[in-house]
Formats: sequence, C-alpha cells, structure tokens
Amino acid sequence: MSTLWQKDIHRGDRLFQFVLRACAIAAMVLLLFMVVNLGYRSWPAFKVFGLKFFVSSDWDPVNDQFGVVSFVYGTLVSSALALLIAVPVSVGSALCLTELAPRRISAVLGFLIEMLAAIPSVVYGLWGIFVLAPLMRETVQPFLGKYLGWIPLFSGPAYGVGMLTAGILLAIMIIPTILSISREVFFAIPRAQREAALALGATRFETLWIAVVKSSVSGLFGASVLGLARAFGETMAVTMVIGNRAEVAVSLFAPGQTMASVIANEYAEATTDIHLAALGAVGVTLFLVSWLINSTARAIVSRSERRGGAGGR
Amino acid sequence: MTSSENSNVILEADKIHAWFGSHEAVKGVSLSAVMGTVTALIGPSGCGKSTFIRTLNRLHEEIPHTRVEGQVILEGKNIYERGVDPVGVRRKIGMVFQKPNPFPSMSIFENVAAGLRLAGISKRSLLAEVVEQSLKQAALFEEVKDKLKAPGTSLSGGQQQRLCIARALAVKPPVLLMDEPTSALDPISTAKIEELVMELKKDVTVVMVTHNMQQAARISDKTAFFLMGELIEWGDTSQVFTTPKVEKTEQYITGRFG
Repeated sequence: MSTLWQKDIHRGDRLFQFVLRACAIAAMVLLLFMVVNLGYRSWPAFKVFGLKFFVSSDWDPVNDQFGVVSFVYGTLVSSALALLIAVPVSVGSALCLTELAPRRISAVLGFLIEMLAAIPSVVYGLWGIFVLAPLMRETVQPFLGKYLGWIPLFSGPAYGVGMLTAGILLAIMIIPTILSISREVFFAIPRAQREAALALGATRFETLWIAVVKSSVSGLFGASVLGLARAFGETMAVTMVIGNRAEVAVSLFAPGQTMASVIANEYAEATTDIHLAALGAVGVTLFLVSWLINSTARAIVSRSERRGGAGGR
Repeated sequence: MTSSENSNVILEADKIHAWFGSHEAVKGVSLSAVMGTVTALIGPSGCGKSTFIRTLNRLHEEIPHTRVEGQVILEGKNIYERGVDPVGVRRKIGMVFQKPNPFPSMSIFENVAAGLRLAGISKRSLLAEVVEQSLKQAALFEEVKDKLKAPGTSLSGGQQQRLCIARALAVKPPVLLMDEPTSALDPISTAKIEELVMELKKDVTVVMVTHNMQQAARISDKTAFFLMGELIEWGDTSQVFTTPKVEKTEQYITGRFG
C-alpha cells in the first residue's frame, strides 16, 4: 500500500466546506439577531398599542399616539409609482440596448447606466430638492392639475415635494437595477430562438415580442421585484423630497411619509421611550411588509415557471 | 438534367456568394431543387453548407456585418430583388434548425399556431384544424393530442424537433429548409425524422444540410457536396455516392478526410 491511501487527501475539501458553512450560518445568525433585536426594541410599543398599531394612522409623538398606517401607505404608493414608471422605461431601454443598438454603443450606454447605481442616494436627494421639486412645483404639477385635476389623484395645491415627486425620484434610482437585470435576461435568450421567429416570417418587432419578451416574463418580473425591494428600503432621497407628513392623502401632490423615512427623520430626535419603541415597531412593520411582498413575488414567479414561462434557457 | 425536370424547378440559387465581414463563406454556388425532392447538402464542418442554406430564406443577412450576392429564384421570382420583403420570403420557405427551438413561453398548440397568427389568422376553429393537420403531418399528433396546452419545451428532444417541423409546415410553405435537423438527437428520434422527411416530400420540397453521409444516402434524391465554400459536385444521390465525378468527392465519401 502506498502512502496515497494513508494520507488525508480530502483535508482541503473539508476545510473549504467548513469555511463555506460558517459563512452561511453567519448570514442566518445575523438575520436572526436583527429580528430579535428589532422585536426587543419595539416590544414596549406593541405592549401599549397592540394590533391597533397596524391599523391606526394616528402618529402623534407629542401625545404619545402611534399608528403605522400612513407610513405603510407612503411606502407602498411611492414604490408602486416608482415601479410604474421604471419598469416600462427599463425594459424598453434594455430591449433597445440588446436588440437594436450596435454592440459598441450598447456597451458604453450599459456601462453609463450601471454607473447611475453607484451615485449615493443623498446626491439623488439633493438633485430632487434643487431640480426635481421646483420643476414639479412650477411646471409638471400645475400642468397635471389643469388637465387631469378632475381626477382626485392630481388635485390639490402644488407643493413640489410630495408623493409624486418621491415616486419619480425613486423610479430614477431603481431604473439601473431593473435595466441591468433585464439586459442580462435578454442576453441569455439564445439566438436560435430569435431565428425561429424570423424564419417563421416574423417582422423585427414580432420577433422581439414572441421570441424575446414573452420568454423573459419571469426574469423581468424578478428584475422588477429587485427594483421594488430597493424602492422599499430607500431612505435618504425619499426623506428629502416626500414632504414628511404622516397622513393618508388621496392626491399624489400631497406630502406623505414612508416607513424608512420616518425612522431616519425622527430617530435622532425621539426623546420618549415609547416614541423610540414605536419607531422600532415601524422597522418591524417594514420588515414584515417587505417579506410579504418578496414571498408573494417568489410564489408568482415559481408558479409561472411551472406553467412553462421559464427564462428561455 | 432533363427538360421535364427543369420545368419543375421550384428553387434555384444562382451564383450565391455570402460573407461574414470580409470572410467569404460561400463562393458562387449555383444549385436548384426540383419540386417534391429532397436535396442533401454534405461536406466537412465549415464548408459553407449551413451558410448557403441560410441565404435561401434570407436569414443570413440577419447576422450583423454579413452580405449576400447572387440570386435565389423561388417560383420564378428572385427573392433578392430590390423591393422584396424578406419577411414575405420567409413565410414561403420554412426552416428547421439544428437544435429544436420551440418557443418556451408557448404551449404545443400555440407553437404550431405561431406562424398562422403572424399571418393574421386568429379564427379559433381554423387554427385548431391546421394545428391538428400539421401535427399529424409531422407524425407528432398521436403523442401530444391530450396535452396540446402543455409547454412545447416539456417534450423530449425528438418530439420538440417534430414540433418545430409542424410549426414550419403549418403555414404550408412550398419549400422546407433543414439545417442538420437530427444532429442533436438520439438514433431513434433521428430515424423518425428521416422517415418523416421521406413522407413529407410529397407536399414540400426539402433542402437539408447534414453531417451524416449515411443519412444523405438514405433519404435524399439529390446530393450536393460542398468544400471550402464551393460546390464541388452535385447530382443524383446514387450517382454521387457510387460514381462520383470529382476526386475530392470520392475522397470525402470514402472517409479519407472531413
């Protein structure tokens, strides 16, 4: 018997496995720690308000009244607005970059767009305050008010800052995310599939539709969910342009507030224990809502994949 | 070629040249296909046979930086003439590819109906009729009749390839191009497709690229041998395989290179 059989040749393998396992466990422990800590800090608020915290929109730190509804509303509406604007723009530009633009231009543009993701959100916020908000106040909102003012969504005074402005700013911030993932999804579609459509007598547009877009639905959905997650958690830029008023207003021109922005805004100034606990409870709510949306999205994707709409690979 | 055959020529390529950038992959190939026959294009890898077949339905030009020169006469009309819409050409010339490529987002039914829908047909009863007929023609109907709504990609490789054949046949093209249709399939699926091709030639003229010389010998009426972008020899399959006129052909057929 040679030494080959005695020496432990799998030691490297085992070490590698140990390190990987440690990393995986660390990630889980971190999450667990976050949940426990958040629960511990918010517990006093839940003890006082109970489930009422989730159904009340009354947020009045002076009188120690706390309810999360207006922030949930703010987060959901501003993120939904952002998605509504960002998804068509991103998917459209991704299609253009992968299918129509010459390779070289596409590479340069793609790089520039990905650079957008690297800009700090406070810079987006400043741009929002100094450029976007005045533009909204003086041009966009008066215009919308004049022609669409009969719809409650576009009624009321033009403040500049508010839900619509936050939604637009968020849209700009999540476009790079959705766009770059959509681009990858389209790139992954084999040439053979486009040729199948062409050979069948499809025009260029029809080829894009039946061979590219239709087979990418679940991938595009995933891209949108990632964008949504980013919009959900975005704090600084939103805080700077949303107006920070805790109320549920129908008009998109009205100021609002999101879960992330209320925490950023009030945490440093919260003096009473119950106020701090309530902000912790807002954090718990944000956690729950994100988790709910993410798992719903996953369920939808896996259902559509079972039906055969897989990513086209 | 006798004159009676000549009048039945449905597709005729005349001095076709094709380029990728500055590389000339096809160098002046002239070839014609008689209605109701199977023409096999054989030759070693990179000899230009696939590129050539892709000039016959103007698919070659869809790849950036490519160029085609020459004429292809389909039913008496040059498809490269100025003003001819390549989309219209492709509706008259079906194509089946090397790897089965059903649309993954579509059911079996929708895959076969795709070409009809592109042609603007949306009447459900008509679609159902043509889909059934095409699937029968592609010898797939019995295997899928109970799961027409299942995704096309849920079928086996050989079934997917027959699905692609059904999809191409649904618009009733006079010519069907096949680019190594069995090279990704197992022997049993290959045999089924070969059988099918021989059956199909009643209705459609087939031009087929194949890597497999036995396949060409088994199912084709005419064989064309390509080498380095040129058409070396072309004639009746039995003649090309038994008494080739050119030495290169003989060397290739007897396995001395390729």
